[in-house]
Amino acid sequence: MEPIELKSQYRHALLPEPSSEELSRQDFVKSLKFHLASTISTGNKNAFDGRAARRFEKAEGRPPETMHDVRRAMQGDPYFNFWSALQRNSQEMMWKSVQMPVERQLGDLIERAAGDEGPGSLTLDPDVAVPAYHTAVDIHCMPGGYHTEFTENDVANGAVYDRAVYIYAMGRMGPFNSDIGDTAIALIKSRFPDLKPRRILDMGCAVGHSTLPYCDAWPEAEVHAIDVGAPVLRYAHGRARSLGYPVHFSQQNAESTRFPDGHFDLIVSHILVHETSARAIRAIMREARRLLAPGGVVLHGETPPYRDLPAYDAFMLDWDTRNNNEPFWGASHEIEPARIAAETGFDPDKAFEAYQPSAFEAAEQERTKVFQGGDFGGGGAWYFWGVQK
Amino acid sequence: MSGQADGARIELQKKAKGERPAYFSDPAIDKILSITMALAGEVAVMRDRLDTVERLLEGGGPVTQEAIEAYRPDPSVREERDAIRERFLENILRIVHQEREELARKAEERAPYGEAVQLVEAL
Repeated sequence: MEPIELKSQYRHALLPEPSSEELSRQDFVKSLKFHLASTISTGNKNAFDGRAARRFEKAEGRPPETMHDVRRAMQGDPYFNFWSALQRNSQEMMWKSVQMPVERQLGDLIERAAGDEGPGSLTLDPDVAVPAYHTAVDIHCMPGGYHTEFTENDVANGAVYDRAVYIYAMGRMGPFNSDIGDTAIALIKSRFPDLKPRRILDMGCAVGHSTLPYCDAWPEAEVHAIDVGAPVLRYAHGRARSLGYPVHFSQQNAESTRFPDGHFDLIVSHILVHETSARAIRAIMREARRLLAPGGVVLHGETPPYRDLPAYDAFMLDWDTRNNNEPFWGASHEIEPARIAAETGFDPDKAFEAYQPSAFEAAEQERTKVFQGGDFGGGGAWYFWGVQK
Repeated sequence: MSGQADGARIELQKKAKGERPAYFSDPAIDKILSITMALAGEVAVMRDRLDTVERLLEGGGPVTQEAIEAYRPDPSVREERDAIRERFLENILRIVHQEREELARKAEERAPYGEAVQLVEAL
Protein backbone atom coordinates (compact mmCIF):
# COMPACT_ATOMS: atom_id res chain seq x y z
CA MET A 1 0.00 0.00 0.00
CA GLU A 2 1.24 3.49 -0.84
CA PRO A 3 1.81 5.81 2.10
CA ILE A 4 -1.44 7.55 3.02
CA GLU A 5 -1.40 11.24 2.19
CA LEU A 6 -2.64 12.92 5.36
CA LYS A 7 -3.73 16.23 3.84
CA SER A 8 -6.30 14.75 1.47
CA GLN A 9 -9.26 12.45 1.74
CA TYR A 10 -8.29 8.88 0.85
CA ARG A 11 -9.60 8.00 -2.62
CA HIS A 12 -11.33 4.69 -2.04
CA ALA A 13 -13.31 3.11 -4.87
CA LEU A 14 -16.62 4.81 -4.02
CA LEU A 15 -15.41 8.33 -3.45
CA PRO A 16 -16.86 10.52 -6.22
CA GLU A 17 -14.15 11.91 -8.46
CA PRO A 18 -14.56 15.69 -8.78
CA SER A 19 -13.72 17.51 -11.99
CA SER A 20 -11.02 20.14 -11.61
CA GLU A 21 -13.63 22.88 -11.23
CA GLU A 22 -15.66 20.84 -8.77
CA LEU A 23 -12.54 20.25 -6.67
CA SER A 24 -11.80 24.00 -6.71
CA ARG A 25 -15.35 24.75 -5.59
CA GLN A 26 -15.00 22.29 -2.69
CA ASP A 27 -11.61 23.73 -1.78
CA PHE A 28 -13.16 27.18 -1.66
CA VAL A 29 -15.82 25.98 0.79
CA LYS A 30 -13.11 24.40 2.93
CA SER A 31 -11.12 27.66 2.92
CA LEU A 32 -14.24 29.69 3.68
CA LYS A 33 -15.13 27.46 6.60
CA PHE A 34 -11.62 27.68 7.96
CA HIS A 35 -11.56 31.45 7.56
CA LEU A 36 -14.89 31.78 9.37
CA ALA A 37 -13.85 29.46 12.20
CA SER A 38 -10.34 30.81 12.71
CA THR A 39 -10.84 34.56 12.33
CA ILE A 40 -14.38 35.84 11.70
CA SER A 41 -15.85 33.76 14.52
CA THR A 42 -13.42 35.16 17.09
CA GLY A 43 -15.03 38.58 16.59
CA ASN A 44 -18.21 37.26 18.18
CA LYS A 45 -16.44 37.21 21.55
CA ASN A 46 -15.44 40.82 21.05
CA ALA A 47 -19.00 41.73 20.04
CA PHE A 48 -20.16 40.07 23.23
CA ASP A 49 -17.58 41.62 25.58
CA GLY A 50 -17.48 45.03 23.98
CA ARG A 51 -21.10 45.55 23.07
CA ALA A 52 -23.75 42.91 23.73
CA ALA A 53 -22.81 42.18 27.36
CA ARG A 54 -22.77 45.91 28.14
CA ARG A 55 -26.19 46.39 26.62
CA PHE A 56 -27.51 43.41 28.56
CA GLU A 57 -26.08 44.73 31.82
CA LYS A 58 -27.62 48.15 31.27
CA ALA A 59 -31.04 46.66 30.60
CA GLU A 60 -31.02 43.94 33.27
CA GLY A 61 -28.94 45.54 35.99
CA ARG A 62 -26.62 42.48 36.09
CA PRO A 63 -24.04 40.95 33.79
CA PRO A 64 -25.02 37.98 31.60
CA GLU A 65 -24.15 34.77 33.42
CA THR A 66 -25.77 31.74 31.86
CA MET A 67 -25.75 30.50 28.30
CA HIS A 68 -29.34 31.72 28.02
CA ASP A 69 -28.27 35.19 29.17
CA VAL A 70 -25.59 35.18 26.48
CA ARG A 71 -28.17 34.19 23.89
CA ARG A 72 -30.47 37.02 24.90
CA ALA A 73 -27.57 39.44 24.87
CA MET A 74 -26.33 38.34 21.44
CA GLN A 75 -29.71 38.08 19.76
CA GLY A 76 -29.88 40.86 17.24
CA ASP A 77 -26.18 41.75 17.52
CA PRO A 78 -25.24 42.74 13.96
CA TYR A 79 -21.81 41.11 14.00
CA PHE A 80 -23.18 37.83 15.32
CA ASN A 81 -26.00 37.91 12.77
CA PHE A 82 -23.63 38.51 9.90
CA TRP A 83 -21.29 35.73 10.99
CA SER A 84 -24.31 33.43 11.38
CA ALA A 85 -25.48 34.27 7.88
CA LEU A 86 -22.00 33.56 6.47
CA GLN A 87 -21.78 30.32 8.44
CA ARG A 88 -25.18 29.15 7.21
CA ASN A 89 -24.18 30.00 3.65
CA SER A 90 -20.93 28.05 3.98
CA GLN A 91 -22.93 25.02 5.07
CA GLU A 92 -25.32 25.33 2.11
CA MET A 93 -22.44 25.89 -0.30
CA MET A 94 -20.73 22.80 1.08
CA TRP A 95 -23.69 20.54 0.28
CA LYS A 96 -24.04 22.05 -3.16
CA SER A 97 -20.35 21.61 -3.93
CA VAL A 98 -20.44 17.92 -3.09
CA GLN A 99 -23.79 17.25 -4.76
CA MET A 100 -22.52 18.37 -8.17
CA PRO A 101 -19.97 15.56 -8.77
CA VAL A 102 -22.29 13.00 -7.17
CA GLU A 103 -25.15 13.94 -9.51
CA ARG A 104 -22.82 13.72 -12.48
CA GLN A 105 -21.59 10.20 -11.74
CA LEU A 106 -24.41 8.66 -9.70
CA GLY A 107 -24.92 5.78 -12.13
CA ASP A 108 -21.29 4.73 -11.78
CA LEU A 109 -21.35 5.04 -8.02
CA ILE A 110 -24.45 2.83 -7.77
CA GLU A 111 -22.75 0.23 -9.96
CA ARG A 112 -19.54 0.31 -7.93
CA ALA A 113 -21.48 -0.09 -4.68
CA ALA A 114 -23.49 -3.02 -6.02
CA GLY A 115 -20.68 -5.49 -6.88
CA ASP A 116 -20.49 -8.78 -4.91
CA GLU A 117 -16.73 -8.83 -4.40
CA GLY A 118 -15.29 -8.36 -0.95
CA PRO A 119 -15.90 -9.11 2.70
CA GLY A 120 -18.78 -8.16 4.98
CA SER A 121 -22.49 -8.02 4.22
CA LEU A 122 -25.42 -5.68 3.68
CA THR A 123 -28.98 -6.35 4.84
CA LEU A 124 -31.59 -3.79 3.93
CA ASP A 125 -35.10 -3.78 5.36
CA PRO A 126 -37.57 -1.48 3.62
CA ASP A 127 -39.99 -1.98 6.54
CA VAL A 128 -37.74 0.02 8.88
CA ALA A 129 -39.59 3.29 9.38
CA VAL A 130 -37.43 6.41 9.25
CA PRO A 131 -38.05 8.08 12.62
CA ALA A 132 -39.68 11.51 12.84
CA TYR A 133 -36.47 13.02 14.25
CA HIS A 134 -34.90 12.39 10.85
CA THR A 135 -37.84 13.42 8.69
CA ALA A 136 -38.99 16.59 10.53
CA VAL A 137 -36.10 18.59 9.09
CA ASP A 138 -33.08 17.51 7.03
CA ILE A 139 -30.37 17.19 9.69
CA HIS A 140 -27.38 19.54 9.39
CA CYS A 141 -29.03 20.94 6.23
CA MET A 142 -28.08 17.93 4.10
CA PRO A 143 -30.83 17.94 1.48
CA GLY A 144 -32.71 14.66 1.85
CA GLY A 145 -30.96 13.54 5.03
CA TYR A 146 -29.52 10.04 5.38
CA HIS A 147 -32.70 8.35 4.23
CA THR A 148 -34.05 9.92 1.02
CA GLU A 149 -33.67 7.79 -2.10
CA PHE A 150 -33.57 9.70 -5.35
CA THR A 151 -33.40 6.62 -7.56
CA GLU A 152 -33.31 2.83 -7.33
CA ASN A 153 -30.43 1.36 -5.28
CA ASP A 154 -29.46 4.92 -4.49
CA VAL A 155 -26.14 5.75 -2.83
CA ALA A 156 -26.23 9.50 -3.54
CA ASN A 157 -26.49 10.81 -0.02
CA GLY A 158 -23.87 8.36 1.19
CA ALA A 159 -21.45 9.84 -1.34
CA VAL A 160 -22.56 13.37 -0.51
CA TYR A 161 -22.10 12.77 3.22
CA ASP A 162 -18.68 11.11 2.85
CA ARG A 163 -17.15 14.06 1.03
CA ALA A 164 -19.02 16.73 3.01
CA VAL A 165 -17.78 15.37 6.35
CA TYR A 166 -14.22 15.76 5.08
CA ILE A 167 -14.87 19.36 4.04
CA TYR A 168 -16.86 20.17 7.18
CA ALA A 169 -14.04 18.88 9.37
CA MET A 170 -11.54 20.62 7.06
CA GLY A 171 -9.62 17.37 6.90
CA ARG A 172 -8.99 17.33 10.64
CA MET A 173 -10.70 13.96 11.09
CA GLY A 174 -8.08 12.30 8.90
CA PRO A 175 -8.00 10.83 5.37
CA PHE A 176 -10.73 8.33 6.32
CA ASN A 177 -12.84 10.72 8.45
CA SER A 178 -12.27 8.18 11.20
CA ASP A 179 -11.08 10.40 14.04
CA ILE A 180 -14.07 9.92 16.36
CA GLY A 181 -13.84 6.13 16.03
CA ASP A 182 -10.06 6.12 16.48
CA THR A 183 -10.36 8.35 19.52
CA ALA A 184 -13.17 6.24 21.02
CA ILE A 185 -11.01 3.13 20.66
CA ALA A 186 -8.09 4.79 22.45
CA LEU A 187 -10.42 5.65 25.31
CA ILE A 188 -11.98 2.16 25.49
CA LYS A 189 -8.57 0.47 25.49
CA SER A 190 -7.26 2.64 28.29
CA ARG A 191 -10.43 2.57 30.37
CA PHE A 192 -11.41 -1.09 29.86
CA PRO A 193 -8.09 -2.87 29.22
CA ASP A 194 -9.66 -6.27 29.90
CA LEU A 195 -12.51 -5.85 27.45
CA LYS A 196 -12.08 -8.38 24.63
CA PRO A 197 -15.20 -7.90 22.55
CA ARG A 198 -16.43 -10.87 20.54
CA ARG A 199 -19.05 -8.74 18.79
CA ILE A 200 -19.17 -4.98 18.36
CA LEU A 201 -22.15 -2.86 17.28
CA ASP A 202 -21.85 0.64 15.83
CA MET A 203 -25.20 2.44 16.02
CA GLY A 204 -26.09 5.14 13.49
CA CYS A 205 -23.02 4.31 11.41
CA ALA A 206 -23.93 6.40 8.32
CA VAL A 207 -21.18 5.60 5.77
CA GLY A 208 -19.02 3.79 8.35
CA HIS A 209 -16.38 6.48 8.95
CA SER A 210 -16.00 5.49 12.60
CA THR A 211 -16.92 1.82 12.13
CA LEU A 212 -13.88 0.59 10.21
CA PRO A 213 -11.24 1.31 12.89
CA TYR A 214 -12.96 -1.23 15.18
CA CYS A 215 -11.96 -3.98 12.73
CA ASP A 216 -8.32 -2.95 13.13
CA ALA A 217 -8.55 -2.50 16.89
CA TRP A 218 -10.13 -5.92 17.55
CA PRO A 219 -9.44 -8.09 14.48
CA GLU A 220 -10.99 -11.15 16.14
CA ALA A 221 -14.32 -9.41 16.75
CA GLU A 222 -17.36 -9.50 14.49
CA VAL A 223 -18.25 -5.89 13.64
CA HIS A 224 -21.88 -4.92 12.99
CA ALA A 225 -23.11 -1.47 12.01
CA ILE A 226 -26.69 -0.20 11.71
CA ASP A 227 -28.46 2.86 10.38
CA VAL A 228 -31.99 3.77 9.32
CA GLY A 229 -30.88 5.20 5.96
CA ALA A 230 -30.61 2.80 3.01
CA PRO A 231 -28.50 5.09 0.75
CA VAL A 232 -25.81 5.59 3.38
CA LEU A 233 -25.73 1.85 4.14
CA ARG A 234 -25.30 0.83 0.50
CA TYR A 235 -22.46 3.32 0.23
CA ALA A 236 -20.96 2.23 3.57
CA HIS A 237 -20.93 -1.39 2.47
CA GLY A 238 -19.30 -0.60 -0.88
CA ARG A 239 -16.76 1.66 0.79
CA ALA A 240 -15.88 -0.87 3.51
CA ARG A 241 -15.44 -3.66 0.96
CA SER A 242 -13.30 -1.54 -1.30
CA LEU A 243 -11.03 -0.94 1.68
CA GLY A 244 -11.11 -4.62 2.66
CA TYR A 245 -13.07 -4.33 5.92
CA PRO A 246 -15.44 -7.15 6.92
CA VAL A 247 -18.33 -5.15 8.41
CA HIS A 248 -21.91 -6.41 8.59
CA PHE A 249 -24.17 -3.48 7.77
CA SER A 250 -27.90 -3.67 8.31
CA GLN A 251 -30.83 -1.29 8.15
CA GLN A 252 -32.17 -1.14 11.68
CA ASN A 253 -33.32 1.46 14.17
CA ALA A 254 -31.05 1.57 17.23
CA GLU A 255 -34.13 2.01 19.43
CA SER A 256 -35.30 -1.49 18.61
CA THR A 257 -33.02 -3.90 16.76
CA ARG A 258 -33.41 -7.51 15.64
CA PHE A 259 -30.27 -8.74 17.45
CA PRO A 260 -30.70 -11.29 20.27
CA ASP A 261 -30.24 -10.43 23.96
CA GLY A 262 -26.68 -10.20 25.25
CA HIS A 263 -25.25 -10.38 21.70
CA PHE A 264 -22.60 -7.64 22.03
CA ASP A 265 -19.70 -6.83 24.35
CA LEU A 266 -19.22 -3.35 22.97
CA ILE A 267 -21.83 -0.94 21.58
CA VAL A 268 -20.68 2.43 20.29
CA SER A 269 -22.06 5.48 18.55
CA HIS A 270 -20.30 8.50 17.08
CA ILE A 271 -22.18 11.81 16.83
CA LEU A 272 -25.43 9.83 16.82
CA VAL A 273 -26.93 11.07 20.07
CA HIS A 274 -27.52 14.68 18.98
CA GLU A 275 -29.40 13.44 15.92
CA THR A 276 -32.02 11.52 17.94
CA SER A 277 -34.57 12.78 20.44
CA ALA A 278 -35.18 12.84 24.20
CA ARG A 279 -37.34 9.73 23.99
CA ALA A 280 -35.20 7.98 21.37
CA ILE A 281 -31.90 8.22 23.26
CA ARG A 282 -33.58 6.61 26.26
CA ALA A 283 -34.99 3.85 24.05
CA ILE A 284 -31.50 3.40 22.56
CA MET A 285 -29.98 3.06 26.04
CA ARG A 286 -32.63 0.49 27.05
CA GLU A 287 -31.95 -1.40 23.83
CA ALA A 288 -28.20 -1.26 24.51
CA ARG A 289 -28.82 -2.76 27.95
CA ARG A 290 -30.76 -5.62 26.36
CA LEU A 291 -28.07 -6.20 23.73
CA LEU A 292 -25.05 -6.07 26.03
CA ALA A 293 -23.54 -9.15 27.61
CA PRO A 294 -22.67 -8.76 31.32
CA GLY A 295 -19.58 -6.56 31.66
CA GLY A 296 -20.20 -5.10 28.19
CA VAL A 297 -19.86 -1.39 27.52
CA VAL A 298 -21.97 1.17 25.67
CA LEU A 299 -20.18 4.38 24.68
CA HIS A 300 -21.33 7.49 22.80
CA GLY A 301 -19.00 10.08 21.25
CA GLU A 302 -20.12 13.72 21.04
CA THR A 303 -18.98 17.28 21.67
CA PRO A 304 -18.77 18.56 25.29
CA PRO A 305 -21.90 19.03 27.41
CA TYR A 306 -22.75 22.65 28.07
CA ARG A 307 -22.17 22.29 31.82
CA ASP A 308 -18.45 21.83 31.13
CA LEU A 309 -18.12 25.02 29.07
CA PRO A 310 -18.05 28.71 29.97
CA ALA A 311 -21.44 30.30 29.20
CA TYR A 312 -20.17 32.10 26.10
CA ASP A 313 -18.58 28.94 24.61
CA ALA A 314 -21.73 26.93 25.32
CA PHE A 315 -23.78 29.56 23.52
CA MET A 316 -21.48 29.38 20.48
CA LEU A 317 -21.54 25.57 20.43
CA ASP A 318 -25.33 25.77 20.59
CA TRP A 319 -25.44 27.67 17.28
CA ASP A 320 -26.29 24.49 15.36
CA THR A 321 -29.53 23.96 17.27
CA ARG A 322 -31.24 26.91 15.61
CA ASN A 323 -29.08 27.55 12.56
CA ASN A 324 -28.08 24.19 11.17
CA ASN A 325 -31.17 21.97 11.40
CA GLU A 326 -29.99 20.15 14.50
CA PRO A 327 -33.12 20.32 16.66
CA PHE A 328 -31.86 17.94 19.38
CA TRP A 329 -28.35 19.42 19.53
CA GLY A 330 -29.07 21.68 22.51
CA ALA A 331 -31.01 19.18 24.62
CA SER A 332 -28.53 16.39 23.87
CA HIS A 333 -25.75 18.57 25.31
CA GLU A 334 -27.59 18.63 28.65
CA ILE A 335 -27.61 14.82 29.03
CA GLU A 336 -26.23 13.55 32.34
CA PRO A 337 -24.79 10.06 31.92
CA ALA A 338 -25.46 8.72 35.44
CA ARG A 339 -29.01 9.99 35.34
CA ILE A 340 -29.86 8.53 31.96
CA ALA A 341 -28.16 5.26 32.98
CA ALA A 342 -30.40 5.04 36.04
CA GLU A 343 -33.49 5.87 33.98
CA THR A 344 -32.75 3.12 31.49
CA GLY A 345 -32.04 0.26 33.88
CA PHE A 346 -28.25 0.49 34.16
CA ASP A 347 -26.33 0.87 37.41
CA PRO A 348 -25.67 4.64 37.57
CA ASP A 349 -22.44 3.98 39.47
CA LYS A 350 -21.10 2.32 36.34
CA ALA A 351 -21.80 5.35 34.16
CA PHE A 352 -18.83 7.43 33.05
CA GLU A 353 -17.88 10.47 31.02
CA ALA A 354 -14.46 11.43 29.72
CA TYR A 355 -12.53 13.59 27.31
CA GLN A 356 -10.08 11.96 24.99
CA PRO A 357 -7.59 13.91 22.86
CA SER A 358 -8.19 13.52 19.16
CA ALA A 359 -6.32 10.54 17.72
CA PHE A 360 -5.46 12.33 14.45
CA GLU A 361 -2.38 14.27 15.38
CA ALA A 362 -1.62 15.49 11.87
CA ALA A 363 -4.45 18.01 12.22
CA GLU A 364 -2.92 19.64 15.28
CA GLN A 365 -1.66 22.87 13.76
CA GLU A 366 -4.96 23.69 12.07
CA ARG A 367 -7.15 23.27 15.10
CA THR A 368 -8.90 26.27 16.59
CA LYS A 369 -9.07 24.47 19.97
CA VAL A 370 -12.63 25.63 20.48
CA PHE A 371 -15.87 23.77 20.09
CA GLN A 372 -17.97 26.21 18.14
CA GLY A 373 -21.00 26.45 15.91
CA GLY A 374 -20.26 25.29 12.39
CA ASP A 375 -16.89 23.74 13.32
CA PHE A 376 -17.04 21.03 15.94
CA GLY A 377 -14.08 19.13 14.52
CA GLY A 378 -11.62 21.80 15.59
CA GLY A 379 -11.72 21.19 19.33
CA GLY A 380 -8.85 18.71 19.40
CA ALA A 381 -10.70 16.29 21.72
CA TRP A 382 -13.94 14.36 21.84
CA TYR A 383 -16.36 13.90 24.71
CA PHE A 384 -17.56 10.40 25.48
CA TRP A 385 -20.16 9.11 27.85
CA GLY A 386 -21.48 5.65 28.54
CA VAL A 387 -21.99 2.88 31.03
CA GLN A 388 -20.77 -0.62 31.69
CA LYS A 389 -23.41 -3.31 32.20
CA MET B 1 -14.16 11.11 -17.02
CA SER B 2 -17.04 8.68 -16.92
CA GLY B 3 -20.51 9.97 -16.23
CA GLN B 4 -24.10 9.37 -17.10
CA ALA B 5 -25.84 10.33 -20.28
CA ASP B 6 -27.66 13.60 -19.72
CA GLY B 7 -31.02 11.95 -20.17
CA ALA B 8 -30.37 9.60 -17.26
CA ARG B 9 -29.20 12.28 -14.86
CA ILE B 10 -30.92 12.14 -11.49
CA GLU B 11 -31.34 15.48 -9.82
CA LEU B 12 -30.70 15.60 -6.10
CA GLN B 13 -32.80 17.67 -3.73
CA LYS B 14 -31.43 21.20 -3.58
CA LYS B 15 -32.99 22.66 -0.45
CA ALA B 16 -32.77 21.05 2.96
CA LYS B 17 -36.18 20.48 4.52
CA GLY B 18 -36.76 22.94 7.33
CA GLU B 19 -37.38 26.66 7.59
CA ARG B 20 -34.31 28.72 6.68
CA PRO B 21 -33.51 31.32 9.38
CA ALA B 22 -33.77 34.97 8.35
CA TYR B 23 -30.61 36.83 9.37
CA PHE B 24 -31.54 40.31 8.17
CA SER B 25 -34.63 42.50 8.43
CA ASP B 26 -35.05 42.53 4.66
CA PRO B 27 -35.10 39.05 3.03
CA ALA B 28 -33.45 40.60 -0.03
CA ILE B 29 -30.26 41.05 2.03
CA ASP B 30 -30.20 37.32 2.83
CA LYS B 31 -30.51 36.57 -0.86
CA ILE B 32 -27.85 39.09 -1.89
CA LEU B 33 -25.37 37.68 0.63
CA SER B 34 -25.93 34.16 -0.70
CA ILE B 35 -25.44 35.34 -4.28
CA THR B 36 -22.30 37.29 -3.32
CA MET B 37 -20.72 34.30 -1.58
CA ALA B 38 -21.61 32.01 -4.48
CA LEU B 39 -19.95 34.51 -6.83
CA ALA B 40 -16.89 34.68 -4.59
CA GLY B 41 -16.69 30.91 -4.89
CA GLU B 42 -16.86 31.10 -8.67
CA VAL B 43 -14.08 33.71 -8.73
CA ALA B 44 -11.93 31.35 -6.66
CA VAL B 45 -12.73 28.52 -9.09
CA MET B 46 -11.63 30.70 -12.02
CA ARG B 47 -8.47 31.75 -10.17
CA ASP B 48 -7.54 28.08 -9.76
CA ARG B 49 -8.23 27.45 -13.43
CA LEU B 50 -6.04 30.37 -14.44
CA ASP B 51 -3.32 29.03 -12.16
CA THR B 52 -3.64 25.66 -13.91
CA VAL B 53 -3.27 27.30 -17.33
CA GLU B 54 -0.20 29.23 -16.17
CA ARG B 55 1.42 26.10 -14.80
CA LEU B 56 0.70 24.14 -17.97
CA LEU B 57 2.21 26.97 -20.03
CA GLU B 58 5.26 27.04 -17.81
CA GLY B 59 5.60 23.28 -18.17
CA GLY B 60 5.67 23.71 -21.94
CA GLY B 61 3.02 21.06 -22.58
CA PRO B 62 -0.18 21.51 -24.56
CA VAL B 63 -2.78 23.82 -23.02
CA THR B 64 -5.98 22.15 -24.09
CA GLN B 65 -9.29 21.76 -22.28
CA GLU B 66 -8.35 18.15 -21.79
CA ALA B 67 -5.00 19.03 -20.22
CA ILE B 68 -6.67 21.60 -17.95
CA GLU B 69 -9.26 19.07 -16.88
CA ALA B 70 -6.68 16.35 -16.29
CA TYR B 71 -4.42 18.60 -14.21
CA ARG B 72 -4.42 17.74 -10.51
CA PRO B 73 -2.54 20.09 -8.18
CA ASP B 74 0.07 18.34 -6.07
CA PRO B 75 0.18 19.02 -2.30
CA SER B 76 2.56 21.97 -2.63
CA VAL B 77 0.42 23.62 -5.32
CA ARG B 78 -2.66 23.03 -3.17
CA GLU B 79 -0.92 24.72 -0.26
CA GLU B 80 -0.11 27.72 -2.46
CA ARG B 81 -3.72 27.87 -3.59
CA ASP B 82 -4.93 27.63 0.02
CA ALA B 83 -2.79 30.65 0.85
CA ILE B 84 -4.14 32.58 -2.15
CA ARG B 85 -7.72 31.79 -1.13
CA GLU B 86 -7.00 32.87 2.44
CA ARG B 87 -5.78 36.27 1.19
CA PHE B 88 -8.75 36.48 -1.17
CA LEU B 89 -11.15 35.89 1.74
CA GLU B 90 -9.29 38.47 3.84
CA ASN B 91 -9.83 40.94 1.02
CA ILE B 92 -13.45 40.36 0.16
CA LEU B 93 -14.49 40.11 3.81
CA ARG B 94 -12.46 43.21 4.79
CA ILE B 95 -15.59 45.07 5.89
CA VAL B 96 -16.38 42.29 8.37
CA HIS B 97 -12.80 42.23 9.65
CA GLN B 98 -12.98 45.99 10.07
CA GLU B 99 -15.92 45.62 12.42
CA ARG B 100 -14.15 42.77 14.22
CA GLU B 101 -11.07 44.94 14.81
CA GLU B 102 -13.25 47.79 16.05
CA LEU B 103 -15.06 45.45 18.45
CA ALA B 104 -11.73 44.07 19.68
CA ARG B 105 -10.62 47.60 20.55
CA LYS B 106 -13.87 48.24 22.41
CA ALA B 107 -13.64 44.94 24.27
CA GLU B 108 -10.08 45.79 25.29
CA GLU B 109 -11.10 49.23 26.56
CA ARG B 110 -13.70 47.56 28.66
CA ALA B 111 -11.10 45.64 30.64
CA PRO B 112 -10.84 47.29 34.06
CA TYR B 113 -7.73 49.39 34.70
CA GLY B 114 -6.96 47.18 37.68
CA GLU B 115 -6.18 44.33 35.30
CA ALA B 116 -3.36 46.36 33.79
CA VAL B 117 -1.97 47.03 37.27
CA GLN B 118 -2.15 43.33 38.12
CA LEU B 119 -0.50 42.47 34.84
CA VAL B 120 2.50 44.75 35.26
CA GLU B 121 2.94 43.80 38.89
CA ALA B 122 3.11 40.16 37.93
CA LEU B 123 5.63 40.74 35.13
